[in-house]
Amino acid sequence: MKLPLRLALRHLLAGWVRNGLTVMALSIALFLFCFLISVVRSLDLAIDAAASNRLVTQSAVSLFIDLPLSYQGKIESIDGVEGTTKFQWFGGYYREPANFFAQFGIDHERFFDLYEGDIEISEGPAGVTGPAARTAVIEALAADRRACVLGEGLRSRFEKTDFEVGDTFPVIPTIFQKFDGSAWEFIIVGFYRPKRSNVDATTMYFRHDYLEESLEGGIAAGPEGAGVYMVNVADGSDPERVSSDIDALFENGPQATMTTSEAAFQAIFASMLGNVPLFLGTLGGAVLFAVLFSVINTMLIAARQRRREAGILQALGFSPSTSAWLLVFEGVLISLIGGGLGLLLAGGSAPAMAEALGTSIPNYAVDGATIIQGILLALLMGILAGAAAGLPMVRLQPTEALRSEG
Amino acid sequence: MALPAGYTTRNLSRRRAQVLFTALGIGMTVAVFCGILSLRNGFEQLYRPRGAEEVAIYLRPGATSEGESAISREKARILIKERPEIIRDDGGVPLAAAECFLAVYMEKIGGGLTNVPLRGIEPASLTLHPYPPRLVDGRWPRWGSDEVVVGEPLVTRMKGCSLGETLRINTTPFEIVGVYRFDSAEGSEVWGPVERMLEALDRPVFQRVIARVSPTTDFAAIAEEIEKDPRISLTVSSEREYLQKQTSALGTALLFLSIFLTVVMGVAAVLGATNTMLAAVASRTHEIGVLLAIGYSRSEVFLAFLLESAQVGLIGGVLGVLMVLPFHGVETGAANFNTFTDVSFAFRLSPGLVGTSLIISFILGLVGGAIPAWRAARMKPVDALRG
Repeated sequence: MKLPLRLALRHLLAGWVRNGLTVMALSIALFLFCFLISVVRSLDLAIDAAASNRLVTQSAVSLFIDLPLSYQGKIESIDGVEGTTKFQWFGGYYREPANFFAQFGIDHERFFDLYEGDIEISEGPAGVTGPAARTAVIEALAADRRACVLGEGLRSRFEKTDFEVGDTFPVIPTIFQKFDGSAWEFIIVGFYRPKRSNVDATTMYFRHDYLEESLEGGIAAGPEGAGVYMVNVADGSDPERVSSDIDALFENGPQATMTTSEAAFQAIFASMLGNVPLFLGTLGGAVLFAVLFSVINTMLIAARQRRREAGILQALGFSPSTSAWLLVFEGVLISLIGGGLGLLLAGGSAPAMAEALGTSIPNYAVDGATIIQGILLALLMGILAGAAAGLPMVRLQPTEALRSEG
Repeated sequence: MALPAGYTTRNLSRRRAQVLFTALGIGMTVAVFCGILSLRNGFEQLYRPRGAEEVAIYLRPGATSEGESAISREKARILIKERPEIIRDDGGVPLAAAECFLAVYMEKIGGGLTNVPLRGIEPASLTLHPYPPRLVDGRWPRWGSDEVVVGEPLVTRMKGCSLGETLRINTTPFEIVGVYRFDSAEGSEVWGPVERMLEALDRPVFQRVIARVSPTTDFAAIAEEIEKDPRISLTVSSEREYLQKQTSALGTALLFLSIFLTVVMGVAAVLGATNTMLAAVASRTHEIGVLLAIGYSRSEVFLAFLLESAQVGLIGGVLGVLMVLPFHGVETGAANFNTFTDVSFAFRLSPGLVGTSLIISFILGLVGGAIPAWRAARMKPVDALRG
C-alpha cells in the first residue's frame, strides 16, 4: 500500500510551532557550519589560485631576512626568467595600530606588466577608467616618487574616510622609522581590483626606490634590501629548473635563498596557522551535533504523539513500518527546509561577511561544494532523526498503540 | 504553598530520552564556549609569567614587537652601563642582557614550514627573571661556542630539534646541547650565544635589551627619560605590559569566535529546549489542571516549569564541561598573529570558566522554558482538566 504522504504534510502543519522552532535551529546550525567550513576553504583557496608561472625567491633562513639588492640582476640573468620585481614589506598602519594593512614596495616600471594576470587598474588619475587607466597610473607613478596604488578594499576601510585619487595617504611605520618621527606620506594615483582570488584587495603598492632613497639619504632608518623577489618564468621554460638555478647561484651566501612556486609560498602561510583549520572544522562538527540532538528530540516528541495514530493506521491495514517511514519523511522534510534556509542565508550573506572579515580572511566565499556538503549533511540528519524516532514504532502492537493517549 | 522540588526532578526522570537530547544540545553549546575560552586561557597564561613587573624590555621607538626592533651595540652598551633602574648582582654586574631575535623557518614534524623564534642570549638572560628558565635535559650552551638549547615543546613539534642533533642556521651548524623549560611565551624558542648568532645570521644589531629592574620602577617616568636621551633614545615597558600587547590579535580573535558561536548556537539550543518543554506542558495538561484546581497559584506553576527547564539546562552544562575536560592540558600550537611565530600552548580550564559555563547553561534553560511555562500558568483549570 502506498505511503499516505499527505498525512505527513498535515503533520508538518499541525505541529507548526515545534517544527518551526526546529527549522529555525537547523538553519542557524547549517549557516554556522557553512561559515566555518568556508573560512577553512578560503584559507586553502589562495594556494589553488596562485599563478603557475611565478616563483618567489626569499631567504632560506627566515621570512624576516632581506635579500641583497644585488641579487635582482643576477636572478634576471638566469635563462628562462621573464622578469622580476622586488617585494618589500613595509609593515605600517594608518593612524592606529589596529588599522594595520599590507604595504609593499615594488619596482613600478615592471610591476604592472608582471602582474597583468593578477590585478587590473580600476581607476586612474583624473577619474580615468578602463584600459586607459593602466597607462595613466604607470605614468603617474613614474612622475612622483611618493605615488602609490591602493586596493579597492582600502577605499573606505578606515573609519568614515573615503579615499580618492589625488589624496595624500599617511602611513605610520613600524620598521622604517623616519628620523624626524613623522609618518610617511604617499599620494594615491589609482586603485586596483584583483583578477585572481588569491590576490588581496586591501594592499598598497608603492615605489621601492622611494624607500631606498629615503634610507640612503639619511631620512629614515631600516633594513636595506628586498624581502622577496617575485620572478615570472618565461613561457616554455621549466619553473622547477629556473628555481633550482636561482638557489644554486646563492648557495654559499651571503644569504642562502629558497625559491618556490607562488602556491608553495602561500602554503607556508597556511601552514603557519597550525591547527586552526582543524580547530574550526571540529567546531563545525560540534555545531552539527548540537542541532542533530535537537532534531532527534523533535522527532521523538512527534513519535510520542503519534502512537495512537500508528495503531489506527495498522488497524486500517497499513504495514507496521508505515508510521516509521512517515516519521523519516517528516524528519527529512524538516531538515531540508531548515538546512536549505541556513545555506541560503550563508550564501546570501557571503559578500557582506567577506567585507566584515576584511583582511583577516581575505578570500572568504561560499562555494558550491560547501553548499552541496551542507545539503547532504542536512539530509543525513533528517534520516537519522526520523529513524531514531521511527524504529520503536515498527514493533508497536496495534492494540497497545490504540490504548495510548494522543 | 510551594511545589516540592522533587516534583520537577521526578518529571525529568520520566522523560529521559527527551531530557538527554535537549541537555546534549545545550551541552554542546557550552562545550564550544568553554573549549574556545580554555584555549584562549592557555594562550594568554603564557604571556603572563610570574614576576614580569620586575623585568624591563627596551626596544626601538615605534617597534611593536622584537621582530621590528633594532638596537645598535653602542646604545645597548650605554644603556646597560648607565641606567640606574637596572639591578646589579653581588659582584656589581648588571642583570641585563642584549639579545637578538629572528623568526626562522623550521619544518614541523607533521609536515609544513613554520616560524620558530631564534634568540641570541647572554649569561644574564638565564638569571635575570625572578622565576628563571630551568634545564630539563643536557646543559646550557658554552658562551662563544656554536651551541644552542631548545624549548621543551619544540622537541616534539619540530623536525631535527632533539638533544644532540645539529641545527643549521644560514650556513653555520649549531649543536643542540640542552632542553629548557620556561613557563612563558619564550618557552618554545631556540637559544644560543648572541655573538655567535649574529655572526651566523650576518646581522649587525641587537633586537632588545632585557633587564631586571627594581620593583618600585615607575615605567612611565623612565620611558620618557630614556626616549629623550639622545645617546639611547629607546622605549621601555615592563615585560608584563610588553607581553600583553603580543596576545591581542589571537586573544581577541578567539574571544570573538567564542561569543559569536555561543550566541548563535545558544539561540538554536534555546529553540530545542522550548520544544521539549512545550511537549512536557502539552502532555501534562491534565496534571496542570489538577494543580491549579487544588490551589497552587499560577506563579507557582510557572516557576515549577521554569525550574524544570533550567534543570535540563544545568544538566547540559555539566555534560558540556565534561566534554571539554579531557582536553585540559592538551598541547597545541598556533601562530601568534602579532609576531608571526609559532607558539605552543595547552587548553586550560579554570574554575571561573567552569562557573561561567554552568551559569550560561542555566540561563539557556531558563530562556527556553519561559514560553512553555507561561503557557502552562495561563491555562484555565476547567479546560485543562478536560485535556
